[in-house]
This record gives sequence, structure tokens and C-alpha cells, in this order.
Amino acid sequence: MPDAERIYEAMKKSIETYDSDAAVAAAEEAVAAGLDLLEAVEVGFANPIRELGESFHRMEIFLPELTMGADAMKAGVDVLERALDESGGKIEKKAVVVIGTVEGDIHDIGKSVVATLLHANGYQVHDLGIDLPATRIIEAAESHSADVIALSALLSTTMLYQRDVVELLQNKGLKDKYYVLVGGAPVTQAWADEIGADGFAHDAFDAVQVLDKAMEGRAK
Amino acid sequence: MRFQPTLKVLSDEQIERIHQAALEMLMNPGVLVKSEEARDLLKQAGADIDEETMICRIPGNIVMEAMKSAPSSFTVHARNPENDVHVSTSDVHIEPMIGRINCYDYASGEARPTTLEDVGHLIRIADAMPNYHLLHSGAIMPQIEGIPIRATHAYGYLESVRNSTKPVKATSRERVMAEDCLRMVAAVAGGEEELKKRPCTFTTDNPVAPLHHDRDQVEGALLYAEYGIPIDVTSEPQAGATAPVTIAGLLAQQTADVISGITILQLKNPGNPVWYGTCGSVMDMRVGRIAIGAIEMGLINVASAQMAHFYDVPCRGTASATDSKELDFQAGYEKTAVMTMAVLGGVNKIFYPGTMEGALTISKEGLVLDNEIAGAIYRVLDGIDVVDDTLGVELARTVGPGGHYLSQRHTMQFIRKEHFMPLLADRLIRERWEEAGRKNMVAKAHETVVRILDEHEVEPLPEKTEAELKRIVREVEEREEKQS
Repeated sequence: MPDAERIYEAMKKSIETYDSDAAVAAAEEAVAAGLDLLEAVEVGFANPIRELGESFHRMEIFLPELTMGADAMKAGVDVLERALDESGGKIEKKAVVVIGTVEGDIHDIGKSVVATLLHANGYQVHDLGIDLPATRIIEAAESHSADVIALSALLSTTMLYQRDVVELLQNKGLKDKYYVLVGGAPVTQAWADEIGADGFAHDAFDAVQVLDKAMEGRAK
Repeated sequence: MRFQPTLKVLSDEQIERIHQAALEMLMNPGVLVKSEEARDLLKQAGADIDEETMICRIPGNIVMEAMKSAPSSFTVHARNPENDVHVSTSDVHIEPMIGRINCYDYASGEARPTTLEDVGHLIRIADAMPNYHLLHSGAIMPQIEGIPIRATHAYGYLESVRNSTKPVKATSRERVMAEDCLRMVAAVAGGEEELKKRPCTFTTDNPVAPLHHDRDQVEGALLYAEYGIPIDVTSEPQAGATAPVTIAGLLAQQTADVISGITILQLKNPGNPVWYGTCGSVMDMRVGRIAIGAIEMGLINVASAQMAHFYDVPCRGTASATDSKELDFQAGYEKTAVMTMAVLGGVNKIFYPGTMEGALTISKEGLVLDNEIAGAIYRVLDGIDVVDDTLGVELARTVGPGGHYLSQRHTMQFIRKEHFMPLLADRLIRERWEEAGRKNMVAKAHETVVRILDEHEVEPLPEKTEAELKRIVREVEEREEKQS
């Protein structure tokens, strides 16, 4: 078996077995063998993680498996990215996303799953954490040159703070610069429309699809 | 002597191991306590506090002393003393859900935002249902359609307390909301001193799993403890997400959450009535959401009752909930299975009847349906009375071989006590059922809802009290308007 094929197979297997160490080892081997690293990212890691996402959506695998698969992918891609950096190359990202749970809300899990799945699907994701004032979210979006601001809220009391973020963006004249995506248990499309958010997603898988559609042709 | 039907899922040795694991967790990693007052209380008691990280390491002797000061029985008073609830480690009471963000609409089959009118109707239905004792209320709702959001608790409490004479729950979610609610409860009780003597409300203090006591929540709960008001301290861990995926790990961590929470309250007011509470379940790892109709909740409820009784405090559990979006087979199966386990497991206050859709939605028909499930399970709890009279040896001689028991006084005498008579479940033959309109349980529950709202009368609040409550609601609304 030629080197490339064997190494891609090892990468794929590391994702399917949720094994970060194996992902790093395969990535290092790809670098040492002088493979086309952009192809390695796509074939070795991106395709298998997308398949994992599909399996999750079909309810064949469970959330911890998806999360750990994504962790393995991240560990492997980090190795490839460092090598690419040194050679002046760059991995295509669909878009840059800052994501967080709004002020007053300490719910972490749903937001983290969305971040994981977006990352697994080719987005550069900056997870800002929980209980975030509007000003901090916008500062982070600016400093990361984000394309997307994704806002989570689990409580019907705190979803009001999603509106604060949109209003503050409007007041600062920054609204058109970002695609604002909202989600969380009490959040609906009607709420997204009411506060002037650009998109709404029911769940993590939906978030990927909504953003894929919105970001078409915006790869950078 | 009557044999009490009981269900146990833990051996004494397993209870001890879970208890020890919880104590270990309270020392390392400790609990995050964001309320300064709570940290001070723990510090004075001798716990090790890191003020920078707000992590408190609480030695077992402090926890056990606090648990000992918590009573094993107490009374939650009601506007009508006949509805007072005597809580103990051996009684089972039921707290239906009232306030959810959405309300199920029978005609359309859809969930829509809950209005203040819904709150009043839901409470009135719960007031009319014999198996409901302690009522959740509109005061706990994060939002009521059409009501200014920061005044929700005040509007919600008023609309609730005027529609029932059973004990009505108030919120401790934030200090200021707790203060508003307690002023209103005091008005109903006849003053602050009366409220302390006859606490006629109760509340919930929710630690945030894992091992975290939020500031707003604890500050609110500490205020309730000043008045000696009963508080269920309830952790809501999800196995695999906010707790270990194993049920044993969930129970250990939940116990650490709850007994540290109770410790804080007992340090504030030794002897304050509390429940050891669980709303623990599993996260469904296919959809990433809590599964609130999961059968594992049955195990967790029973184990929690065993843990609570190990500490000699009553247990609050969570049952009669479902993930179904309809009042269908899934709802009936999930509600009945977990509810049966919780009741037989000796959970002393069972919360969540009336809910559906992962407890995002409340249903008027659901309150009526779940009351019937509760009635059936109470019958099981009553067990089998085995004495001369019930064995009926003499009676068998009277009837004789080949006879029947229909015309015996004994049958008439015991029928109501021995047999549960469902009001909604259908037992007619097909022809009679068709003549009666082919109605299923849900349709009959809806008829009951319509009838109750038409006929059930609740003793109104005294005029003076109603006026005072309305004044407080206005005051809260004006204060919040100014602040926004």
C-alpha cells in the first residue's frame, strides 16, 4: 500500500476509535512522509469526522463519541496546521465563529456541542464560555475577525440577553458585519426574527446546516 | 399489622459507600459556593474556604451535624388549615407542576406560551384534584405571556394564591424576588410573625450540578431559611453530562450537592425544614438533552429516597414527567413507570405531574390524567390488609361453593376501600363505549377540565389581603420599570 493511503487510513481509524494519540501519530507521519497536508486534512480527518457527524445525526453513535472523535481530529489537525504554517500554507476554513452562552446563563453543554460540531465541519471556532456580557462577545468577535456570532441561552429569562447583543451590534453600526445565530431550549425562529438575528438553529446539527447555507461562497 | 409495600434499589452497604463518596467529594474537589454569606457560614463552622476560587472543602463532621439538625417531619401550612400538609419520611405527597413556559392547547394539540389566565386555571384544576397536596405556582415561572418579565414572580404568585387554598410555592431564585414573594406570603399569612409560626409556602433551592451553589439562588434560599420555610434542596444532575454517566456516580455527586446545600441552610437556621431532592436523570446521548421520562429516573428516585432516609430527612423526587410531545402511549408509559417506582420507593414529595415535552410544557388535561395515575399508585401503596374480616373465611361458608359475592354486605362494606375506581380509564364493552362517543382518556380529561373550570369554587382571599397583594404587585412592577 502506498504511504499516503496507509497514513490516511490510520488517520481515519484514529477518528473512528476516538484516539487523539493515534491521530497525532498519524499526522506526524504524514508530515514526515512529505504528504500533501491540505489533502491529508481533507481525506484523513475532515471526511471521517463528517461521517461521524452523520452517524450521530442518524443516532448510531452517541454524544461522547462525537465529542471525543472531534477532540482526536483537533489534535491531529493541530499537528498538520503547525507544519503547514511553517511552509506558508493555510487550511481553508468555512468561516470564523465566536460562540458563547449569554449573560446570566451558566449552561455550558449545548453550546459546547454546537462548537464541537461546527469545528468538526470546517469552521474555525472560538468558544468564549458562559455568562458573557454583550460587550465581551462583541469585543471577541472583533478581535478574532469573526464572520459569525453564535449565541446560546437555555433559560427564557436569559434569552433576552441575545437581544441585547443584537441591539449593541446595531448601536455600534456592526450588525451587517456579522451573521448572528441564536439557539437554546426556549429559542424559536419567531424569537430570532423578533430580535433581528440572522439565523436560528434547533440543535448542533441544524447549526452546521444553517451556517453552511449562510456561509456559501464565503470561505476564507 | 399492615405490611407496607416498599421498593428498594440499594443495600445498606451501597448507601454507606455512596455517602462516603459524597463526603470525599466535599473535601476534594470541594464545592463552589458563590454566595459570600454562605461561605462565611461554612467558614465559621470550620470548613476550609479559598476566597479566591470560592471553593469550600467541607469536612464530614460539619455536614453530619447539620444533617442531624434537619427535622424528619414538619408541616407546610395552607390558607385553609384543612389542607395543611404534614411532611415526614414515611408519607407520600404530590406536587403538580403549574408554571411552565408553554401550555398545551387541547383543541389544536400545539404548545403555546402560558398566560396569566392559564396559571389561574392550572392552579384551580390542581386545587380540585384530590391527589395533589403542595402546589407549584406561577411565582416560579421565568416568564408569563403578556406580563412584564421582571414582575413575573409577583403576578404569578397572586394569580396562584387566589385560586387555591392548598400550600402555594414561592420563588427563591434571586434575593429580590425572594423578598417580594415573602412580603406577599406574609400578607396572606397575616404578618411576618404569623408567617414564621405557620409557614404557608415552600420553595426549591437548586444546586447546579456538578458541585456548584449559585449566588442568586443561595441568597434567595437563605432568606427563606430566616423564616423557617420548608425548602427542597434539589440537584438536577444528568448522567454523562453534568454527572458521571454511572448511576452510582450520579448519586454520589448529587448527594454531595444536596447535603452541602442543606448544610448551608442548617447553619443559617438550625432545624429549618428541608427535603433531600433529586431531579436527576440521564442525558440522551443521541440528542444531547435530558431524558425526563427515562426509566433510570425510577432507579434514581428510589435510591434518592433511600439516601434521604439514611440522613433521616424527607425526600423530594421527580416523576410523572415525559419527553412526549403528546398525551399518548409514551407519556402514559413514562409517567406511570417512574411514578410507581417513586411512590413505592418512599419519595415523600413527588414533583412534575402535569408536565410533558421534557417539562417545557404544562397541560391542564395532563394534570387531570396524572391525578388518576397517582390515585392508582396510592392504592398500591395501601397494600393488602390481611385480617379475619378481609380473609372472609366465615363469608365463604355463607356463600358456599358455586355461589357469588355480589349481594353480600361484606362486598358493599369493603368495595370502596379495596378497589380503586378510575374516573378516566375506560372499562365498558365496545358497544357501550361507542354509544358513549368512543372517548379516550385524554378526551375525558378535557371534559373534566371544562367541568372544573366551570364548577370548582375556591374560597376567595379576604378583600384586604387581595388589595395588599395587588399593591405589592404594582410596587414591584413600578420598581422594575424604573430600573430597566
